[in-house]
Amino acid sequence: MSIDWITVAAQIANFLLLMWLLRRFLYRPILDGIDAREVEISDRMQEAVHAKEQAQAEKQSYLDKVQALNVAQSEMTETIRRSAEEQRDVLLAETQKRLQQENATWKAHLDDETHKYTAKMHRAGAEALLSLTRKALNDLADETLETRVAHHLIQQITPMVPDLKRAAGQAAQAVIISQSALPAAVKDELTTELQKAFPQSVVRFETDETQAPGLVLRVGGAQLAWTVESYIDGLSALIDEQLASGGDLKVKSHEQ
Amino acid sequence: MNLSPDQSIMFEAWGIPINATILYTWVVMAFLTGAAILITRNLRPDVPPNRWRTMLEVIVQGIQSQIEDVAGRRDRHLLYFAGTLFLFVAVSNLLLVIPGFEPPTASLSTTTALALSVLIAVPLFGITRRGLGGYLKTYLEPSFIMLPFNIISEFSRGISLAIRLYGNIMSGAVIAAILLGVAPFFFPVVMDVLGLLTGLIQAYIFAILATVYISSATATPNTTEKENP
Repeated sequence: MSIDWITVAAQIANFLLLMWLLRRFLYRPILDGIDAREVEISDRMQEAVHAKEQAQAEKQSYLDKVQALNVAQSEMTETIRRSAEEQRDVLLAETQKRLQQENATWKAHLDDETHKYTAKMHRAGAEALLSLTRKALNDLADETLETRVAHHLIQQITPMVPDLKRAAGQAAQAVIISQSALPAAVKDELTTELQKAFPQSVVRFETDETQAPGLVLRVGGAQLAWTVESYIDGLSALIDEQLASGGDLKVKSHEQ
Repeated sequence: MNLSPDQSIMFEAWGIPINATILYTWVVMAFLTGAAILITRNLRPDVPPNRWRTMLEVIVQGIQSQIEDVAGRRDRHLLYFAGTLFLFVAVSNLLLVIPGFEPPTASLSTTTALALSVLIAVPLFGITRRGLGGYLKTYLEPSFIMLPFNIISEFSRGISLAIRLYGNIMSGAVIAAILLGVAPFFFPVVMDVLGLLTGLIQAYIFAILATVYISSATATPNTTEKENP
């Protein structure tokens, strides 16, 4: 057992050289590689964290958009519903108004038709009444209606002369109006009788087709009517009553 | 029978005799350096690590972890020194299984050289770490009376390191040679297996003790901090 100091020196040199070589080719590459990998892993972890945060932000943004979309959809649905209700109300109002207008138009048309029909019935009733009366007088008494009316007027006018004079004053003429021209004999009788009552007045005869059958005496401001107007009015009231009852039934059935 | 490979002159280069210790040291150095170059030549961040690189990483990180446990900090320079000690001693002892190979660590000159390296490294690391005054002050601790004992302790460490490694490796080789003469077909295998085990243990002990010595020299009052290289 001996120490060779040359070998010792050589081994120290060899050891230092080996230490440098291993530092150059082993430790540094390996440790630097490990450090680089740790840095890379750390960077990737940070990137992953960043990507996760971005994903979370995107997710939150998406959820916000979905929520906003839902809110907008709800608002839109509500708006559409309200608009539909308003349109429905407007259409209902228009329909009701149109219905009321049509109802009013129809009622006016019905009233007009009723009025025309009533007038027609009035005329027909009056004509029938007069025709029957004339025929009955002619067949049974050989008299005309105007002659009998004139004779009756002559009988009734005498007690009414004082009242007529007060009402007529100093009249210049007396006018007798009939629906058709009176016979000459009747005109003479009436002229004679009226000149007894009103000597200063001139008697004049006129015809008016719109007037009811009978006679109307007009002296100054006084007027005496002796016609079948009241009878025709009674007939018209009867017809109106019948029509009114029938018309109501029709209107009710139409409204139902 | 040569007890030391120093006595075996292998060849001469430029008039300088090259003994077996130096030659086989070069072999170990070539093996370690060549393996390191081969494995780390394609070491790039974009290339995934292969099994050899992973093996080297495990070895280097294992050494670094042991140093960190002992020193309480991460020190690359200490890794270079202690790691090289471990790898050199371990590979020298492991190559014992190769027929004809004589481990350089069986030479007292080699173990003395390594012990001297530790003996020189301890104050160098201490001065680098604590400054010249701070390091010399450690010889006066806990009292100036301890100065000669501390100096003796410092040198005895190196001597013990050298003798321990040399004794273990040389004795194993000598015992194997003696037993080879007694029972040539059985004992060499057993002794080789034991040699591998004791070789690795001695490498570990040598490196750890060197780390302990250097750490004690570089220890500061707050040594618990971990440094970056």
